[in-house]
Amino acid sequence: MTARRLAFEDVVVGDDVPELRKGPLTSAHLMRWSAATENWHRIHYDFPFAVERDRLPGLLIHGDLKLQFVFQCLIRWAGDGGWVWKVAVQFRDISLAGETLTIWARVADKKRAGQFGLVKLVVGMRNEHAKESIQGSAVVAPPYADGSAVPYPFQPGDAVGAFEEPA
Amino acid sequence: MLLTDEVRRYIGFGAMTCSEPVEKGAVRRFAQAIMDEDPKYAEGEPGDRFGGPIAPPLYPALMFRRPLGTPDPLAHAADPDYDGLSLATSTGLPDLPLRGHGLVSAGAEAEFYRYARHGESVVQHSAYRDIYERESKNGQPLLFTLIESEFRTAEGELLLRFRYRYVRR
Repeated sequence: MTARRLAFEDVVVGDDVPELRKGPLTSAHLMRWSAATENWHRIHYDFPFAVERDRLPGLLIHGDLKLQFVFQCLIRWAGDGGWVWKVAVQFRDISLAGETLTIWARVADKKRAGQFGLVKLVVGMRNEHAKESIQGSAVVAPPYADGSAVPYPFQPGDAVGAFEEPA
Repeated sequence: MLLTDEVRRYIGFGAMTCSEPVEKGAVRRFAQAIMDEDPKYAEGEPGDRFGGPIAPPLYPALMFRRPLGTPDPLAHAADPDYDGLSLATSTGLPDLPLRGHGLVSAGAEAEFYRYARHGESVVQHSAYRDIYERESKNGQPLLFTLIESEFRTAEGELLLRFRYRYVRR
């Protein structure tokens, strides 16, 4: 499914990663995630509880589900030869059932790190009303154009400390 | 105040737990729930570098399940104040003594090194790394909890480091 190959030399600072769209995420999607992870927290599936007891404006989309989408967006971009090493996010706002989430990322910096390249990205997530709910960063390791895939399992080697730690 | 002496005693508390083997069916449900039906999560791909079918990157952090014979978290579900909230199964850590306080995610950091393959067991080391209190804009106490976890195969290969921050109010 990720047959394309990203090369370090093709990455340009300021470029946008192809966005990933998810949704509308209904209560059924939230229920499916709760069941898959055996998470019984009622704010994700019990509307009266979420609104009346926890004073939320609706059913909350799980933070750990949103984090899966961030990884998915970056893995598709990194392709088969690359590696998504680090992701760090702050959940700046809640997301509610019914929203459509768009995951985006932009190249902030790049550098060589021995056997592979390193790319730092800023990442975010917005809904259909352009409300941003995540603020974060990531480090992805693409291979060089004339090199083989990034070693697996990933061994950061000289890459440790190449960028300041994700926010 | 939410950061009582009783809560503060949890800072630094750690635990180690071992999962059941990564199940094909559980990986399928997980991949379908995140709407990422990549074939490498089902059968693997010929000649792939992962050595067989794998689970999504963050699967180890969410694969730990309540063993048979342990207390049913839904035993009190008929209580209108029951929130269904428990981190004990997924982290192996005891829940903080804070029943009745809402929880939302505040942040997460992941360092990813290797996929868990189907059939592999995963060993988790988790700890309450920090617990601290802040005040919201309207003066409400907010309790932040930072849990650090490391996930390795049963043979000791590093899969994932994970830090998750929650806020209770």
